[in-house]
Amino acid sequence: MEKRKLIDENGIRLDGRKWNELRPIRMEVGTLKNADGSAYIEFGKNKIVAAVYGPKEVHPKHEVLPDRALLRCRYHMAPFSVDERKNPAPSRREIEISKVIREALEPAIIMEDYPRTAIEVYVEVLQSDGGSRVAGITASSLALADAGINMRDLVVGCSSGIIDGQVVLDLNDIEDKEGSGDMPVAFMPNLNLITLLQVDGIYTKEQFKQAFELALEGGRKIYRMQREALISKFFGNTQPASAEEDEE
Amino acid sequence: MSAVKKNYVVETIRKAQMKELFMKSRRLDGRALDEFREIKIKTGLIEKANGSALVSLGNTQVMAGVKVSTGAPFPDTPNKGMLVVNAEVLPLASAYAEAGPPDENAIELARVVDRGVRESEMVELEKLCIVEGKLVYTIFVDVNILNVDGNLFDATSFAVVSALRTSKIPEYKAEDDKPKLTGEIIPLPVRKTPVSVTLARIDDILIVDPNAEEEAVMDARLTFTTDDDGNICAGQKGEPGTLTPLQVMQASDIAISKGKEIRKIIMEATG
Amino acid sequence: MMPKVVRKFVIPGDVIAVGDYRSGSYIERRDNQYIALRVGLAEIGRDEVKLNPLSGPYIPHVDDQVIGKIIDITAFGWQVDINSPFFGYLPASFVFGKEFSPSTHDLSSKFKIGDLIAAKVEAFDRTRDPQLSIRGPGLGKIPKGEIVKMSPTKIPRLIGRKGYMIKMIATQTGCELKVGQNGIVVLTGTPEGIVKAANAIRMIEQEAHVADLAKKIQSYLSGGAS
Repeated sequence: MEKRKLIDENGIRLDGRKWNELRPIRMEVGTLKNADGSAYIEFGKNKIVAAVYGPKEVHPKHEVLPDRALLRCRYHMAPFSVDERKNPAPSRREIEISKVIREALEPAIIMEDYPRTAIEVYVEVLQSDGGSRVAGITASSLALADAGINMRDLVVGCSSGIIDGQVVLDLNDIEDKEGSGDMPVAFMPNLNLITLLQVDGIYTKEQFKQAFELALEGGRKIYRMQREALISKFFGNTQPASAEEDEE
Repeated sequence: MSAVKKNYVVETIRKAQMKELFMKSRRLDGRALDEFREIKIKTGLIEKANGSALVSLGNTQVMAGVKVSTGAPFPDTPNKGMLVVNAEVLPLASAYAEAGPPDENAIELARVVDRGVRESEMVELEKLCIVEGKLVYTIFVDVNILNVDGNLFDATSFAVVSALRTSKIPEYKAEDDKPKLTGEIIPLPVRKTPVSVTLARIDDILIVDPNAEEEAVMDARLTFTTDDDGNICAGQKGEPGTLTPLQVMQASDIAISKGKEIRKIIMEATG
Repeated sequence: MMPKVVRKFVIPGDVIAVGDYRSGSYIERRDNQYIALRVGLAEIGRDEVKLNPLSGPYIPHVDDQVIGKIIDITAFGWQVDINSPFFGYLPASFVFGKEFSPSTHDLSSKFKIGDLIAAKVEAFDRTRDPQLSIRGPGLGKIPKGEIVKMSPTKIPRLIGRKGYMIKMIATQTGCELKVGQNGIVVLTGTPEGIVKAANAIRMIEQEAHVADLAKKIQSYLSGGAS
């Protein structure tokens, strides 16, 4: 199969981005009223809703953890989210991603504060583009903060990868499929601790380092937007006032 | 509350002992922090399989078997053979294993091992096309975990790679786009030997090849698969713990250098 | 003039203050940093840091007044939904007294499934479901009223300093407000009064972080624009 070029001679990618540029991103917190916490993210063509229920009673009862919360996570792609209809039953890919998302979020949650309860995180991909798991993590962590669950930090996800032999930030669908490597990373930005890392493709030692650092750099940019989305939901445009002005 | 605890619980004093030894760069079983347990590889034990390997990594024991047939290719790779890796932790493998369909741990295991084999382009899948878009070889690698004592990722990877490296497959040609055996037996075309190296972080110490006891107390797990040229071709962090960026880089260096040593062992055992 | 308290909007992971302070709930100390664990309004005083969260579940505390719904009747007591990760449990012996016996007393004669009660958290340590009692003034079955829910973390705002806010709503609407720390409020009064009081509660819910909230509510209740 002949391969099309994904980066042109001026270093511009198929969708017009430079190597270190993110796709357009939009986030909104509190979009689902029934959930205890929720968030919506558009990340390139990804459209993803995340919802949190809990802490709540654990069912079945034998799964109760006596000293901490039980975190459950379900990443799921809508049948219409991809070019060819996806079977709605969970695939092996979705089961693995559900697991790594759960493990990416858990370090941020103070699990010991909610013994004998379950915290459920649902990530529904309504439309998928490259990088849906990291966008899902970014949205899930907003939903957890929205739900008012004690957290050490937010978790932000971002991926990098290799296309046409070059390390680039944030692969879209075509770059993910036709490129030669994808590296989703999630981390707690204030603590600077990695909570998810997956590597796919062939990286020299130098490329690995470069791609890893690029993903972290992209993640820090996304964190600023994540922050704004949360602040805007809870505080709108208001400013905190000093206590003296408060007549409460 | 349930009477049966699904996870292996390590005694607190043993955990303390383990951590004390780490400070002296030693482990409870006498290994250095970057030392693997003994790796034993036997191939060709299953005559009815096209390739097989029994790998022991300390007390962890894993059997991989390769079965080859033909079928339609994946739509996005019409000119390549198909390769599928599957893993199952058998109920006889430990007191904590249960019968039933693969759970998320077994699925993750199979997918991470699959990625290492696939991304390294170990198997020359483009040579396994019979009629483009219609007929290709399908390679199924099924892994049975026989005894669990930690680090299933590496043991499984070694077994899959060893089984593939020693696989002999029946040759097919196409007649009206239908498969027909030529009667020849050919070696499965492979060009690389990917090696998986798994590390565990316990507190701020990184160790390679964690055994079950070490896994039970580890904070995070990190697997890297490297190829013959020292490239990284797959990676996966696991467990609900964190790693610093520095630990990630250290782990990748260790995986590259350990990978070289283990590649020699695999190549020796598989000819 | 220096403000006594500096206020800051924070999200989980934010550094509220650096130094040496007394610190309250929802704050984790890392070395000399005080880190927010919730979205909320942080207050940094001379020697104390506080965080008033703006969302989150109701976690019971002993002596809290809660409003709950009977959802199950067992042989020895009632299970009560108290809008929390943990169900409340009201033992029958707390209601019928020491002579309670499951064979002689009919629990549903006292409270039926669906009944609303005001109760007090008698005991809770997170290892077992919180135990409730109805001994005390104003506790027991709530016969009628309009139920309004708000985020449990904003109940202190509804009550206000020394009950200022809630007294103001009660006097200006002629309603009686029964408040559960678990985020449930029951209003009784005239239909107009109830609508007005419910609107005021909704305003507090939405603008709990706003500093001049009491003025806004005052202005709404006295007929000004909301």
